[in-house]
Amino acid sequence: MTELLQTIILGLLVGGVYALLAAGLTLIFGVMNVINVAHGAFLILAAFVTWTLWDATGLDPLASVLVTTPLMFGFGWLLYNATIRPIRKAPPSSSVLLTFSLALVIEGVLGLVWGNTSHAVRTSYFDQSFAFGDIFLPKAQVYGCVLAVGVLLALWAFLTKTWTGRAIRASAVNPQGAELVGVNVAAVAAMTFAVGVAVCGAGGSIVSVLYPFLPGSHYVWISRLLGIIVLGGMGSLPGAVVGALLIGVGETMTTTYVGPEWATAVPYVVIFAVLLMRPQGLLGARLREDVAL
Amino acid sequence: MSTASSSAATAPSETPPPAASRRRLPLGGWGLLPAAGGVILVAFPFASDDLFWQNMLILSMLFAIGAVGLNIISGWGGYISLGQSAFVGVGAYTVALGALKIGGNPFVWVPVAGVVAGLLALLMGLIAMRTRGHSFVILTIGFLFLLQLIAINWDELTNGTQGLSLPIPMWDIAYQYWPFYYAMLGVLCLSLVTAWRIRRTKFGTGLIAMREDEDKASTVGVNTPVYKMLGFVASGVFLGMAGGVYAYYLAFIDPRGMFDIVISVQIILCMLLGGRGTLWGPVLGAFLVEPLNELANQQMGGGNSRLLIFGGLMALVVLFLPKGILPTLKERLTARRQRGQAGLVGARLDGPLVIGERTAPAETTVAPGEALLEVKGLMKHFGGVKAVDGASFVVPQGSITALIGPNGSGKTTAFNLIDGTMTPSGGEVWFDGRRIDDLPPYRRAHLGLARTFQITRLFREMTVVENVVAPLRSFSWGQLNTSAMRGDEAARAEELLTFVGMERFRDQKAAELSYGQQKLVELAQVLMLDPKLILLDEPAGGINPTLVARMGEMIRTLQRQGTTFLIVEHNMPFVLGLCDPVLVLARGACICEGTPGEVQKDERVLDAYLGDDFVLERSAEVAR
Repeated sequence: MTELLQTIILGLLVGGVYALLAAGLTLIFGVMNVINVAHGAFLILAAFVTWTLWDATGLDPLASVLVTTPLMFGFGWLLYNATIRPIRKAPPSSSVLLTFSLALVIEGVLGLVWGNTSHAVRTSYFDQSFAFGDIFLPKAQVYGCVLAVGVLLALWAFLTKTWTGRAIRASAVNPQGAELVGVNVAAVAAMTFAVGVAVCGAGGSIVSVLYPFLPGSHYVWISRLLGIIVLGGMGSLPGAVVGALLIGVGETMTTTYVGPEWATAVPYVVIFAVLLMRPQGLLGARLREDVAL
Repeated sequence: MSTASSSAATAPSETPPPAASRRRLPLGGWGLLPAAGGVILVAFPFASDDLFWQNMLILSMLFAIGAVGLNIISGWGGYISLGQSAFVGVGAYTVALGALKIGGNPFVWVPVAGVVAGLLALLMGLIAMRTRGHSFVILTIGFLFLLQLIAINWDELTNGTQGLSLPIPMWDIAYQYWPFYYAMLGVLCLSLVTAWRIRRTKFGTGLIAMREDEDKASTVGVNTPVYKMLGFVASGVFLGMAGGVYAYYLAFIDPRGMFDIVISVQIILCMLLGGRGTLWGPVLGAFLVEPLNELANQQMGGGNSRLLIFGGLMALVVLFLPKGILPTLKERLTARRQRGQAGLVGARLDGPLVIGERTAPAETTVAPGEALLEVKGLMKHFGGVKAVDGASFVVPQGSITALIGPNGSGKTTAFNLIDGTMTPSGGEVWFDGRRIDDLPPYRRAHLGLARTFQITRLFREMTVVENVVAPLRSFSWGQLNTSAMRGDEAARAEELLTFVGMERFRDQKAAELSYGQQKLVELAQVLMLDPKLILLDEPAGGINPTLVARMGEMIRTLQRQGTTFLIVEHNMPFVLGLCDPVLVLARGACICEGTPGEVQKDERVLDAYLGDDFVLERSAEVAR
């Protein structure tokens, strides 16, 4: 019983971090209809930046969120304007291929700069745990999850309380309508991409404490994040949160009861199952598609 | 929606050659180049004993096989797959495990590898049948990584990350890599002949129709789920065989090397660079990409430089050469050849309105005047919006029935529910004596239900005549292998194009036609189904008055020959002069039905069109 409880709580803690990472991906998809396959690579890039900051200055990786978030915002904005903006009107397969090639290039650059070896940020609290009776929760997991939820709430506030945030949501629901009421949808797309990447940057800093990583880790991460947004419903922010928690728990359960080597299979199996049984995902909206006709 | 579903459409299609040369491989003129390439490939091992070049050609052929296959599902079918290297891995492991655990020469296992890859693709296809666009890509990524994970974790079978060593080749060392080389060449030939054959059958044109506009393809009777599934199978079988040969050639395989997503990327790059949607483009691309692969691996240490080169190159191709080399060259050549010639585009429809004869549609089970189409309590809710809310009406056999109503009253949604583009939230649809609301669109088309769209949806990259022969009146497995345009179908298409007055445009691309011309071609296209009932969505919308009159005459002629019509239209003189009965839809329900005269006088109709305060406003005007 204790084992089950511990497994579930750990899964939820992990899921909180996943939610933050998937939020950016689903936001970008919702607004631009682009699957940013480079999301995993952005995350690993932010993790390496965090590692270097920690290695050089001893800066706490969780504090370096303050550095990686604006840094990745700028990086995302530049990248969007340089590469994705020109193919905005191209078929969806173009954007998938383009973001995938960005992921490969980033992986290659990371390999050249940091080498293809496993890195990990080892903080003072790395191997400490909070004990609640028989349940032990690693401090890094708890801090990471709390921080992730904090950033997620900030993102939510941004999307609901600011004009730019509302413009982003309006563009996601109805681009033509948003354009008609004075939203510059093209500029909003750039902003959305940058925000999505920035949030991913914050997530990368958190991930650097929780898991070892190397340049090639981005494949596992993007698969996991795709599984999450497919499960939650592509483009749905609450869906991403629900999907993240479910996949987090699914992974820790698999680790405990099946074997750690099969934990990475969870997102793939989820993708198959969801697309077979409920292609729109758990919270995916079935919006009317014929209005443009 | 049309932009989303037809968005995979920009890949150019390879226009089939004129009827006379259609049965031969395209070897005349520019076709000599691939022939010469083939001769060089066959003769090369005799001419040179340089293993470096033999190796490079073997790997080029592997990439070519992958790219030719990928082109079937991506170039023609419009679905991109990032999981193609899974077939390499599956083929490789089939051959390795077959030879090691059961025995025999590894080459014996190569056909088995093809079968296993095909079956796996079929399994994936069963899931992929239901997915669109992005979901399909995600699925292929998941497919690849899941197989890799299984190969890593299933130690007893695959020896995990330690990998497997294959038997050492037993032939005389003087033969160098010849057996691998010719085995790979054989598989390449097989895959090319298959791809060439597919392009010339109903299967190929169905795939292209799916790429151009999947929903539309379904409404003209193309069984898109099966086409998609088989397209994926065709893309995997030969790559599985090639993967088997590759495994034997390498003599050692491991999960990360075999299920390598970078190989998927290279295969995609071969297809994009050479030209998607062409037969030879993927081959050309492969023979360009593989030397680069050697350069990256041998001169630059592989690993990171391989990622940088292929990631960078793919980004450049997507951004600056999206059509690929062959189509771009062809476009340039055509542009040069046609310089100074006036095209047919924009030519006016002049001359007398001659409407040709055509054969009558299939017999219905319903007597004239009885209900050919009956809609009972039909509902469609989008969240809180009730677009169609309990609509019930009847279309009598042999009639020209109008469906009118103010904007937003649910007319087009009702059409989408009747033809199956959307699933209703409730209610029933009966057609020709049977219930059809649970049938997919292509099944309804096979039963004789046809539909045109408010904004025309032709297959833009196809020619007019290809558009007209695209509809399918039934589905059978044998049909997939029949010629894309049989003689009788071509004749029938000519007849229908003459009927609508578009015969002179038969070889123009649909995208080059004016809007009114597209409406006429779309009508000819659905007539190919020999439909019992045609749903016309605003046939007179956005076209000039002469053409409106002509459209009316055509509809009357067809009706006299036995076709029933249900027409949505805002042009009231057109509707009232042509149709009887008239159905009026308001707020998603049918509020009134009658002759044009009756409907014009009905208070409820005036109310629906002009609003409740119409009377007040009028009296206010009188008072003033």
